Amino acid sequence: MIAPFYKYGLFGDEVSLILAAVIGVGFGFFLERAGFGSSRKLAAQFYFTDMAVFKVMFSAIVTAMLGLFYLSWAGLVDISMVYVSPTYLLPQLIGGLVLGLGFIVGGYCPGTSVVGISTGRLDAVAFGGGVFSGIFVYGELYPWLADFVKSTSMGRVTLDSWLGVDVGMVVFAVVIMAVLGFWGATTVERKLARREAEA
Amino acid sequence: MMNRADPRAWGINQKLAFLAIALGALALIGSPSPGGAVTINTQELADIVESEVDHVTVEELADWVVQDRADYRLLDVRDPESYARYHIPTAESVELRDLHGYPLYHNEKIVIYSDGGIHSAQAWFLLRAEGFAGAYILLGGLDAWKDAILFPELPADATPDEVASFESRRAVSELFGGKPRTGGGGTANPAEIPLPKVKPPAAVAAPRARKKHHKEGC
Repeated sequence: MIAPFYKYGLFGDEVSLILAAVIGVGFGFFLERAGFGSSRKLAAQFYFTDMAVFKVMFSAIVTAMLGLFYLSWAGLVDISMVYVSPTYLLPQLIGGLVLGLGFIVGGYCPGTSVVGISTGRLDAVAFGGGVFSGIFVYGELYPWLADFVKSTSMGRVTLDSWLGVDVGMVVFAVVIMAVLGFWGATTVERKLARREAEA
Repeated sequence: MMNRADPRAWGINQKLAFLAIALGALALIGSPSPGGAVTINTQELADIVESEVDHVTVEELADWVVQDRADYRLLDVRDPESYARYHIPTAESVELRDLHGYPLYHNEKIVIYSDGGIHSAQAWFLLRAEGFAGAYILLGGLDAWKDAILFPELPADATPDEVASFESRRAVSELFGGKPRTGGGGTANPAEIPLPKVKPPAAVAAPRARKKHHKEGC
């Protein structure tokens, strides 16, 4: 038996949707428990007073990356069947900036706003309304945006193929980057907390 | 003050960071080859054939086309003339001899069809041998597509259930430019009914350049 199970036809669309719902609820639960239903905690990220978002996201990236790497090494996952979303450099850069801007202003990203809504936070409800209006406006504007959205296409590119190095090298580099990031984030948090205490 | 700021002992964070670094360093030694060379496991292939998980039915395919799904590739392995006469909407024409080197991704769901099933089965083996684990055969090929999707038949002595399900099949058939056959016996053999024009119906995308809906990812 080799993963991804869905791509290998172990189960069909219905089961995959049920599993997606179960995994989604689990994801939302842990986001909520990590405090990510609160826009204050999320926005604190951008003022370097609470780097939990950065730490949780990078922990998830490192865990998933190491898991996929070793499972595929053991022959339990066919990494070539795992979806890689294609890169459109410029549109995705701009999209990232827009999302970041919305994150700072609104205090949520789309996923965490759903988490916030589930515990009845009104700011999250407003944010969710904004997300859907934004999707609608984007959909209406799409004919004018289509050329840009499809521009600077790089195909399905991964770091290792782009840099021309082994996957293992990228794995190691990302781990080191994450650990340095955790250390740096904690140092900044402590420094700011101390300054707060002195003030 | 934060409870994690104990400088003497290694907390859980430090231990996990160390574990991550160790696993990361170990990753430098050996890299799995992503979708590279494969050895053909004939027993595994035989098991797949036996268990019939390598099939996509014409009904499933019709659903995908109608939903304008972009998570599959449909390969028509008949000769280009037959393809020009008629092909299932969204199909790409590839002859068997051109299959090697045809731009396909290892992580795609690839559905192959021919008139019956022989050429598609051969193409399936070629693709599997090259490590395309997502290769599927359209069960019954274009013949089954004509019978079940383009020209579905309602037998004269149909049960109410059959009549009910025929109504939806009629709609699908008309969407694809086909012609449902009702009344049993008297109607023509599918081979004699003219095939719809290659231009697919308006609701259905033409054989298109690769367009991926961002169905996956966050």
